[in-house]
Amino acid sequence: MVMALAILVAIFLISPILIIIPMSFSTAISFQFPPPGYSLGYYQAYFTSYDWLQPTVNSFVIAILSMAVTMVLVVPASFGYVRHRFRGKSFFNLLMMSPLIVPHVVAALAYYGYFSMARLNGTLPGVILAHGVLAVPIAFLVVCATIKGFDRNLERAAMSAGAGPLRTFFYVTLPVLRPGMMVGALFSFLASFNEAVVAIFISGRDAATLPKKMYESIRLESDPIIAVVSSLLIGAVLIGVVTSVVFRRKPKNVP
Amino acid sequence: MAGVVTAAPATATGPAAVPQGPGAGAVPWLLLMPATAALVLLFVLPIGYVLLLSFTDPQVSLAHYQRIFAVPLYTRILFNTFATSLTVTVICLLLAYPLAYVISRRNDWISLTLLICVAVCFWTGFIVRTYAWLVILGNKGPVAAVWQGLGFGAPPQLLFTSFASTLGMTHILLPYMVLALYSVMKKIDPNLLRAAASLGARPNAAFRAVFLPLSLPGVVNGSILVFTICLGFFVTPILLGTPKDMMISQLVNQQIEELLAWGFASAIAVVLLVATSIVLAIYNRFVGLDRLWG
Repeated sequence: MVMALAILVAIFLISPILIIIPMSFSTAISFQFPPPGYSLGYYQAYFTSYDWLQPTVNSFVIAILSMAVTMVLVVPASFGYVRHRFRGKSFFNLLMMSPLIVPHVVAALAYYGYFSMARLNGTLPGVILAHGVLAVPIAFLVVCATIKGFDRNLERAAMSAGAGPLRTFFYVTLPVLRPGMMVGALFSFLASFNEAVVAIFISGRDAATLPKKMYESIRLESDPIIAVVSSLLIGAVLIGVVTSVVFRRKPKNVP
Repeated sequence: MAGVVTAAPATATGPAAVPQGPGAGAVPWLLLMPATAALVLLFVLPIGYVLLLSFTDPQVSLAHYQRIFAVPLYTRILFNTFATSLTVTVICLLLAYPLAYVISRRNDWISLTLLICVAVCFWTGFIVRTYAWLVILGNKGPVAAVWQGLGFGAPPQLLFTSFASTLGMTHILLPYMVLALYSVMKKIDPNLLRAAASLGARPNAAFRAVFLPLSLPGVVNGSILVFTICLGFFVTPILLGTPKDMMISQLVNQQIEELLAWGFASAIAVVLLVATSIVLAIYNRFVGLDRLWG
């Protein structure tokens, strides 16, 4: 009984996503399911359309660079936060978590107004900075948890064996913490890649990301290329999730 | 700002390696500086700017706030946002609980498959999933096809209704609820249930007396998470819903996109921010904010 219920809910979760994939091979001009016929026409259209490839490239560039911004901010901050006592620690934590507390529409409106003064609206640096900051809480949670789980005796052992602080850090601390930091980096990459609301407000035309382009294409025209883009994204997520679950057997946690 | 970004790697590598005792001088501040500066410059100040605009644009007054709480149209939007968020939260909880229960209690290919379904859904972007519902509920979609196939005549208008918007939001937020429940449920010791059974409790009684109370922290976490995300939900209500049953974020979008009413849009955003903060502050008072995302 519970089992049947659980399976039904899982089907409710996954079937709308899987329905997109046959749509992408459709010959229909508008959103139609089941498709009247099948072809690769819209895949060809996607891979030759500047209007779609430009946002795709933008999304990757923005996600990679904003991930770098996030990690550059978060890694030292996590070491400072976990390993030191200082005044205003809980306040600092609240500051680091604030992008998760503020609804994204509010942040989007805020950046739209604030960045217009610095002429950052519609530019790649603007979106990169905004996404870099918005992913701080997720990466901070992951990296802090990793550092907390690190056995400091390893560092003491290295030091007592004659390694200096720098050597200890690069040969002992960093290699042990690397997997956790990679997870933090991956989460911040995905946070930027999937982020829609702030991008819709501030990315303009030239710096438009894939979610923004998809949003506009849904609103303004029923462009079937969106089914192709969605299918490619779903395919990537499927491969990523299945490999990580099957090979590592390490269930994903909520960021 | 570029200075902040480029200066950081130096602090990331060097001093972090030195194990410092508590309260050791300037080192923690060097480590915390880049993040603090970036968050203040690129987050706190922009939000502060919205707060400022809400009181000063076009002139200094409280008029925007008076308007939000005095005009029935806007109070209805506020009420509608809360009611919709509550509905979505309750439905998510009812659907997620059995799913999370099965995933956490079993350790076989079934639970693995179910977990993969949840994770795929979780990592697929909001826009992609909203688009899926646009197709499913559209007048050329599978629902309409089945409806007509059964001979009911013209399919009902499903898209651009509050039903579509609620359904879409439920689907999108369900994985958050499942994962929040699952992370608590998997820590419940199965021996406790065996102990209850060995003392004569029937499965239902054991579930009610042992498992359910132990899973409550997950219920609270998931509900708070879903409710607060739902309050500020943007993409799905705009694409699937109707302007007749607007949610707060739709109103913000309308005021900016169509009217460029910065002051009023900011005031609405501040109300949304305050509402979310109140919910989280209550949670923080009784549980502690750190638990929410842990």
